Amino acid sequence: MSGFAARGLTKRFHRGVETVTALAGVDLTVAAGELVALVGPSGSGKSTLLALLCGWETPDEGSLTLGGPLTGRRPADLGWPELALVPQALGLVADLSIADNVLLPARLRGQDETARAGLLLADFGLSHLAGRYPQQSSLGEQQRAAVARALLLRPAVLLADEPTAHQDRGHADQLLDAVEAATREGSAVLLATHDETAWARADRVLTLRDGRLTGGLPS
Amino acid sequence: MSRPALWRLAPWTRAPLLGLRQPAAVLAVLVTTAVLACALASAPLFLSSARSAALQQQLAAGCAEAGWGQTGVVVRLLDQNGDPTGVEPVGAGTDRALADGWADVGADAAVAVAITAPGPVTTSGGGRTSLPARVLFRTGALDHVRWEQGPATGTAGVAVPASWAEPAGLAPGDTLGLGGATVPVVGVYTDLFAYDPGPTWCDYRPLFANDASADTPPPALLLASDAAVVDAVSPGTAATELLRQVPVDAADTSVSDATALLRDQARAQAAALSATGAPADLAVPGTRLAEAVARAELVESGLRGPVVPVAVAGALLALVLVAAAGSSWADRRATEVRLLAARGVGPVPLAGKAALELGLPALAGAALGWGAARLLVAALGPADDLDPAATTTALGAGAAAFVAGLAAAAAVAGLRARGTAERAPGSAPHRPARVPWEVGLLLAAGWCWALLQGRDAVVSERGVAQVDGLLVAFPLLGVAGAAVLTARLLTALLPRLRRWAARRRPTVFLAVNRLAAARAATATLLVAVTLPVAVLGYTATLTAGSRATLEAKVGVQIGAGAAVLSVSRFDPTPAVTAAGAYVVRYGSASVTDPEGGRTDVQVLAVDPDDLAGTAAWVDSFADEPLPDLLARLEGPDVDGRLPVVAAGLPAGPADLRLGSLPVPAQVVGTADVLPGRRTAAPVVLVDADRLPEVDRTAGADRTAELWTDGETAAAQEALTAAGSQRNRTIVPADVQTTADFLGITWTFGYLSALAVFVGVIALGGLLLYLQARSRVRVSGYVMARRLGLTRRTHLASLVVELGGVAVAGTVVGGVLAAGAVALVYRRLDVDLLRPPTPLLDVPWTALAATVVLTPAAAVLAALYAQRAADRADPATVLREDAWL
Ligand SMILES: Nc1ncnc2c1ncn2[C@@H]1O[C@H](COP(=O)(O)OP(=O)(O)OP(=O)(O)O)[C@@H](O)[C@H]1O
Ligand SMILES: [Mg+2]
Repeated sequence: MSGFAARGLTKRFHRGVETVTALAGVDLTVAAGELVALVGPSGSGKSTLLALLCGWETPDEGSLTLGGPLTGRRPADLGWPELALVPQALGLVADLSIADNVLLPARLRGQDETARAGLLLADFGLSHLAGRYPQQSSLGEQQRAAVARALLLRPAVLLADEPTAHQDRGHADQLLDAVEAATREGSAVLLATHDETAWARADRVLTLRDGRLTGGLPS
Repeated sequence: MSRPALWRLAPWTRAPLLGLRQPAAVLAVLVTTAVLACALASAPLFLSSARSAALQQQLAAGCAEAGWGQTGVVVRLLDQNGDPTGVEPVGAGTDRALADGWADVGADAAVAVAITAPGPVTTSGGGRTSLPARVLFRTGALDHVRWEQGPATGTAGVAVPASWAEPAGLAPGDTLGLGGATVPVVGVYTDLFAYDPGPTWCDYRPLFANDASADTPPPALLLASDAAVVDAVSPGTAATELLRQVPVDAADTSVSDATALLRDQARAQAAALSATGAPADLAVPGTRLAEAVARAELVESGLRGPVVPVAVAGALLALVLVAAAGSSWADRRATEVRLLAARGVGPVPLAGKAALELGLPALAGAALGWGAARLLVAALGPADDLDPAATTTALGAGAAAFVAGLAAAAAVAGLRARGTAERAPGSAPHRPARVPWEVGLLLAAGWCWALLQGRDAVVSERGVAQVDGLLVAFPLLGVAGAAVLTARLLTALLPRLRRWAARRRPTVFLAVNRLAAARAATATLLVAVTLPVAVLGYTATLTAGSRATLEAKVGVQIGAGAAVLSVSRFDPTPAVTAAGAYVVRYGSASVTDPEGGRTDVQVLAVDPDDLAGTAAWVDSFADEPLPDLLARLEGPDVDGRLPVVAAGLPAGPADLRLGSLPVPAQVVGTADVLPGRRTAAPVVLVDADRLPEVDRTAGADRTAELWTDGETAAAQEALTAAGSQRNRTIVPADVQTTADFLGITWTFGYLSALAVFVGVIALGGLLLYLQARSRVRVSGYVMARRLGLTRRTHLASLVVELGGVAVAGTVVGGVLAAGAVALVYRRLDVDLLRPPTPLLDVPWTALAATVVLTPAAAVLAALYAQRAADRADPATVLREDAWL
């Protein structure tokens, strides 16, 4: 399996005359089978970092390399089995039911993952609302559906943006169990999170402050 | 703590300009209000345009003077018994009184006319001519004659026609004794009946040509070079007519122009009468204009029945669209509106805020719609001369559209703002949407239908055919109700379709799920496609059908495209038979039935091998084609009886009589209608070669006819060459007074325009639909791309989604149109007297165009939606999505 490494990632946003440096020279490595927690106060640049890593934003400076079988590929070109993500905004397709949302990556590839999707839905306590539309479910339920969708095809790289933000302790632990299981199967996981339990279960914790990685846990 | 009034806070004070920051919502309100205003304003404008056109067409059919203002008096010096009436003879004063009457109302009565009929005329030699004469003065008339001698200038006198001058040996310089006055001859002009003398003489034709009988020419027409000549002749004549005319170009006159002219005419006439002291019964005001105006108003009132309800229906439809635009404003300003609502601001102030924000675009839209209605009616309507009153009414309609549109948009925006901005997809529609109100439309349609059963759908009032408003309302209501009901039923099937699609490829799967997730929107879109297709299909078919029927009726009456008739006896030459189908008609013929009853018939002796190529024929006239029927004429005699084909007689023996000549016949073929039917009597076709010689003495009222495809010149030439004299032509215009059927043509023209208009609404609806769902769509697309959705698959799913609705709508619309046509077309008989009964003529090209264009529009919309999705930036879209 493959991990990834970033060197000197810098991202600036321009708002009129003002320039916001969301990331300022971030170096980071996540190995295959490693669970890394990314912590930092709101506005520190966590989501921006994940957007760069998945290829939605391009860095102003710095580089990103993928390892293992993905060596030489660009993140933007990666498919769901290679790089799956849970955006902060979830990005569920509003016109599809929860179950169809979870199954969509397999369906678009012509694969049948109904069984696995059923297991994930059951694990996350979503079986009873499989037929509902996202808007008819709670935010926490939607979030679990988004994580289930990310895990469906056992991604090599998993980027998750605060996946437990709307969960109670019990559901948060279920999600973290599933993410840990994925790590054991070889996924390289980067988890932006404010959840202290997650920090404890991570192999490493990186702290982002004002767009820079600093050592140690936040106070 | 006292709170300041809401309307003094920034969200309200800044509202009028704030609105402009939402280009999409502003555009939606602007366009929909424009559609609404256009629908409302077009009705009065269209009616005015139709009225003007009806007036203009009538005036164009006659002489130019028919549309002019005219006042006049008859100065009668002698009564019927030849005794003096005591009236002053005509003097220059009479004419001046007429001219002054016009001048008083500000008109220039440029044309003066004076006509008098002096008694016996004496020539210079003292001889009396045997023929009577008339003296005519008309301003400028002598500039429009062909001179054979003269004219002598400088002297006042009369010009005499050549046919009169020659026998009497008159030449310029001679004098004539006219009614006691001596008048010099100033010239000799070519007789006006000898050639086409042009429009100047159109109105005076009865003075120089007797169209009724060529044997008795009218009195010789002496053209006075000066009004004073008539004044001089007048004291010796019984009566003199003096006219003053105001030339008006009828080609662009409107009914209000005409009415104003008629009002002026009445005043000018009254002034002239009082100035001359002449009694009112001797006034000669123009009457043709008033008649034409009355007829034009009749045409208009016939149109009002169908047009006004249709315009109101269109406006209601547009109002729904405006309301949808107001709702889209609430969506677009969801955050601010929700914030205000959360702070306890009620729906009324929110509606007020919406009204303030949308006021400018609604005003602009109403103005635009009014302008569009004016332009459209001027460009596409029957005439571009609109009455000022109609323009004012249309302006009022535009203002009403502004008020109603803004109120609807604001009310919906206010209500929408209270609830959540966008409803959860897939949820059952709101309760008001679940009420099957369309059943009410269907019931109303049924009621109209029931009412129609008791009356004629087309009535002819003073020869003007008028469509009953019910005949227009019934199918529109029915089609609208059925379209909504069908859409409701079809969308109710969507959950089932969704289960089916779960096992399909992503293209179909995504498309069906999108449709199923927004059932109300899907139903609306489906109705938006169904309605215009159905209305267009229906109106286009009925328009084509009534046109075909009218043509067939005319064709049946003439026999073919045109006919040249001759009562002369001559033998048809090869040139004659080459120029058309040669037919001999026996107008005085009858059939005696076994009980001795006599039926008048019209017998046509034809060439069975030649007739079918030229004769007017529609397959519905008979069970078999015309050539087959004609072939029966060539079959063997039946018990010594001549085989004939008849319309209006039963098959079997028929004792035919042509004048006094008995012809035992056998009806071997029957048809409902046969060409050449000039009267209501049954038509009988016989083979000319097998008919015994019918003598002049038989008194069969024989006419030789040459039927052609429409061209008459060659036929006339051939007939003349064959020895025929005095040919008469019959062309469609002679048979059909076009103005009578204008109302019908225009009614359906208006309905077709309505269908196109509804099509525009549908397109607007499609765009609003895409717009309303664009945010959901784009964020779904952005994420699905990541999940492995290709651009192609997405575009294909859009095409399936929109194209599916378009195809379903076209099919449903087509079926509804066919049903409406089947119910209505038989009732739409524009002329009950003449066969055939209404024909069905399907305008396949127009329908094919609709069938091609509707899915094409869907594909374009899909491309547009795809482009919008492609341009979205994933990180931004997903961040905004979270923020909502
Ligand atoms: N498109 C953008 N334009 C301008 N500024 C931006 C944009 N996206 C992010 N920023 C800014 O960059 C900084 C980092 O934003 P980011 O979303 O990465 O923070 P975050 O750590 O994910 O915060 P949170 O924990 O609240 O989600 C913030 O100051 C934000 O305002
Ligand atoms: Mg974030």
